[in-house]
Amino acid sequence: MFGYEFYVDPSRCIGCQSCVNACEECETHRGHSMINFDFIDRPESTATAAYVCWHCEEPTCAMVCPADAIKKGEDGIVQSSLKPRCVGCSNCVLACPFGIPKIFPELEQMLKCDMCYDRTSAGKRPMCATVCPSQALAYVRPEEVARRREKPNNVFHFGKQRVVTKVQMMVPESTPVISIDVIDYIWEEAHAVLPQPQ
Amino acid sequence: MPFFRSPSNEPLWHEEFSIFTADERYVSRRQFTKFLTLASLGMFAGNLWLLVRSWFAKTPVYPEAVVGRLGEIPLGGVKLFTYPTPKEHCILIRTGEEEYAAFSQKCTHLSCAVYYSAEKTRLECPCHEGFFSVKDGSVLQGPPPRALPRVTLERRGESLVAVNLVTSQEGRGTLES
Amino acid sequence: MADETNNSQTPKRRSGLTAMDGALALVVLLVIVQVWLLSAAVEAFLAGHRETALPAAVVSGLLFLGCFALYVFVVHIDRESRKP
Repeated sequence: MFGYEFYVDPSRCIGCQSCVNACEECETHRGHSMINFDFIDRPESTATAAYVCWHCEEPTCAMVCPADAIKKGEDGIVQSSLKPRCVGCSNCVLACPFGIPKIFPELEQMLKCDMCYDRTSAGKRPMCATVCPSQALAYVRPEEVARRREKPNNVFHFGKQRVVTKVQMMVPESTPVISIDVIDYIWEEAHAVLPQPQ
Repeated sequence: MPFFRSPSNEPLWHEEFSIFTADERYVSRRQFTKFLTLASLGMFAGNLWLLVRSWFAKTPVYPEAVVGRLGEIPLGGVKLFTYPTPKEHCILIRTGEEEYAAFSQKCTHLSCAVYYSAEKTRLECPCHEGFFSVKDGSVLQGPPPRALPRVTLERRGESLVAVNLVTSQEGRGTLES
Repeated sequence: MADETNNSQTPKRRSGLTAMDGALALVVLLVIVQVWLLSAAVEAFLAGHRETALPAAVVSGLLFLGCFALYVFVVHIDRESRKP
C-alpha cells in the first residue's frame, strides 16, 4: 500500500507468536511460517523478537541468486523465489545478513516473507501486522509512528556492507545505525574484532 | 558512437538479468526498439537495392527459339515449353484456327502453374483461383497483382518462334476476355 | 535515518516507461508502413514500372530516419532515468 511502511519494534514483542500462527495460515505456504521468531537470551530472560523480511534496497539474496529467481519490484518489495527458477541451492540463505530466507529441501525451493503481497497489493495489511496485539510488527503511516518514543531506522552495517532496508526498526533516538555483525555481539566491546562503525 | 555505448557502468549481464523488475522490462524494451530500427534499416536497404537495379536494368534481349509447328496442337489445346531458359516454364495455347497465344506459366501471385480452361477461354491458377485473360494475360479476377508475362510469337513458315518475353504493363483487365 | 528509502527512484522510472511505450508503438507503426512500402515497390518493379523505385526509396529512407530518431529518443530516456 502506498504511504504505509512496516515497522518492527522488538521491545514491544510479548512472545505471543500470533504472528507466527497467522503467517502459517496463508494458503501458499500452509504450515510454514515466514516469521523469524527469536528467543533472544532464553536462559536469562523471556525477551522475544519477531522479524519479517527487511526488503533491502539492494537485496543481497537477489544479488547472489544463481538462477535469477529473486526479484525486487518497483514498489520495493523483494518477492519470494520464483518457482520455475529456484533450484534450492540456499545461496540466499547463507548470504542474507538477517537470516530471513528459509530453504525447504522437500520442495527444492526457498520461501520467504513477501510482505503478504497478495494482501498489501490489494489494500490490506500483512497478516502479522494485523494480528500483533502489541504492534511490535506494525504496518502504518509514518505519522503514527512519529508519535512513539523510539525512532525508525533502516540503515544497518553488516561487516563492511552497508544495508539500507524498506522495513524500519524502532530504535532509541541516539542510535545512528545498527550493526548486525555477528562477531560484534559475540565479544564484548573490549574484545571487538571490528571497530563499531560511527 | 554514443548510441551504442552502454549508458551505465554496470556490466551488460547485470542489466539484462536485473534483479529489479523495472530494469528488466526497461532493457527488453530498449533492445526491442533497437531490433525494430535494424529491421527498418533492412527495409530501406531493400528499397535501395530496388533503386539500384532499376537504374542498371536494360531491356533484356531474349534469344529466339522454335516453340512448335503450326497444326501441332488442336484448337483449344495447349503445349508446354520453356523459354528463354529451361527453368522458365511457358504455355502455348491455340485460341483460334490461325491464332496462338503464349504466356509464362508462373502465376504472378505465388508462382503456381496456370492451366488453360477451354470452356471459359481463360488461364486459371488453381491455387487461389486467379484468372487471366488469354488475349493479353491481364488479371480478370483473384489475388494476382500483375498480368502474366507474354511470350511474343512469330510465324516463320510452318514454325512458331518465340522472340521476346514481355512483362506486361497492365494489371487488371476487363471482365470480357 | 528513516528518510533513506528507494521510493524516489520509482516515479522517474515509471514516467520513462510510458514515454518509451509511446516511442515503441510509433516505431512499430513506422516499420509496418515500411514493410508495406517495400512489398508495393517490389510489385511495381516486377511489373515493369521502373519509375516507382526512386520515390519508394526516398520515403523508405525517411521512415528509417524516423525510426532511428525514435530509437535515439528511447536511449536518451533510458539514460535520463538512470542518472542518480
